[in-house]
Amino acid sequence: MSIQLDIVTPEKKVYSETVDSVVLPTTSGDVGILPGHIPLITQIKAGELAISKDGALDLLAVDIGFAEVIGDTVSVLTEAAIDIEDIDLAAAEEAQKRAEQALKDAEGQDIDPDELQALEAKVRFAMVQQLAKKKGK
Amino acid sequence: MANLRDIRRRIKSVKNTSQITRAMQLVAASKMKRAQDAALAGRPYAQLLARIMGPVADGVFDFTHPFMEERTVKTRGIILVSTDKGLCGGLNGNLFRELPAKDESIKYITIGRKASQYVSRSGRDLIADFTVSDSTTFPEVKTVIEFAIKAFSEGTIDTLEVLYSAFINTLKQEPRLFPLLPISGIDVVLKSLGLENEEPDDRELNFEPSVETILSELLPLFVRREFFSMVKGAKASEHSARMVAMKSATDNANNLVDSLTLDYNKARQAAITQEILEIAAATASNS
Repeated sequence: MSIQLDIVTPEKKVYSETVDSVVLPTTSGDVGILPGHIPLITQIKAGELAISKDGALDLLAVDIGFAEVIGDTVSVLTEAAIDIEDIDLAAAEEAQKRAEQALKDAEGQDIDPDELQALEAKVRFAMVQQLAKKKGK
Repeated sequence: MANLRDIRRRIKSVKNTSQITRAMQLVAASKMKRAQDAALAGRPYAQLLARIMGPVADGVFDFTHPFMEERTVKTRGIILVSTDKGLCGGLNGNLFRELPAKDESIKYITIGRKASQYVSRSGRDLIADFTVSDSTTFPEVKTVIEFAIKAFSEGTIDTLEVLYSAFINTLKQEPRLFPLLPISGIDVVLKSLGLENEEPDDRELNFEPSVETILSELLPLFVRREFFSMVKGAKASEHSARMVAMKSATDNANNLVDSLTLDYNKARQAAITQEILEIAAATASNS
């Protein structure tokens, strides 16, 4: 008797194997799943999945998410697993700063943005041509 | 007729340009392939989310959640997803044409340098400017959507809409304005996950800790996934638009080389004929 364990993240299916049992870190405590478990949908907190397979114990890190146990299939839905990369809090601050800077830079420029974009495209084109010419010599 | 050396130089420069555009076309093609694969790799997640969402949604009545609360709209929030670089045909131009007219009560969050430039230059209110790499990892995108959700919860913005280039196929991309928040109902969520007509599972399910808690925790996951798949679609659009633009640039350059080569041969012929004429005239006058 074994169970099918799948772990999926928004990026890909990170894990899909047949295992003997698995312990899920749910919000209401660790829950051990063996073959023949009742159908269950539960919420998972960030922690470690303990997987036992052929007598060996494996630990996999997961982020918050959900698990669905139906029949002998355990599907874990989480936003990150195994290599958990934290979201970059500084990035949001930087993004705000960049926005302020962009607005400041744009101030005082009284040009139509479409026109400016067309002009920029022309300049870029001219530059590429110059480069191509230099390379050709 | 132009002089031989000038034509030769032009042929060389056009050939070089076509080599550059051809290289860019190939790069864009491989990136497009990767972006499409990434979109497919995200399918199992959507399916599992739908499978969990279905029975959970069936089990609740009178459900309320901050994400579903319809407020009087004082400030709209729009996330504009554009590219960092140009040379992708009319992709960004078409997208920016769909922007609502300049209005003090709309706040913008942008992804991509083109969008932040356009929004700030046209004097619209830009509150944050993010960048997302070509590999489009989930944490990168999550940073953006978390910022937007925070602004929504704090009341800085009353709606959250996403304007992006939807990927239809390699030759066709379409600007699309998608209302992300507030969510008008659970059925909208299920429809968006492609689960409206599915047979409900009649097995008795247990929910831990409770259906309401699970559903309220599921909604943010759903919003983040929706946004992630939109950003991935926008990336696929960018690369395919660039590939098509570079392909036509390469074709144009090759046509130009052909017609220049024709001119060059004509000029060469003319020069040879001229020389023969001169020799013949000289011989005739000498004899």
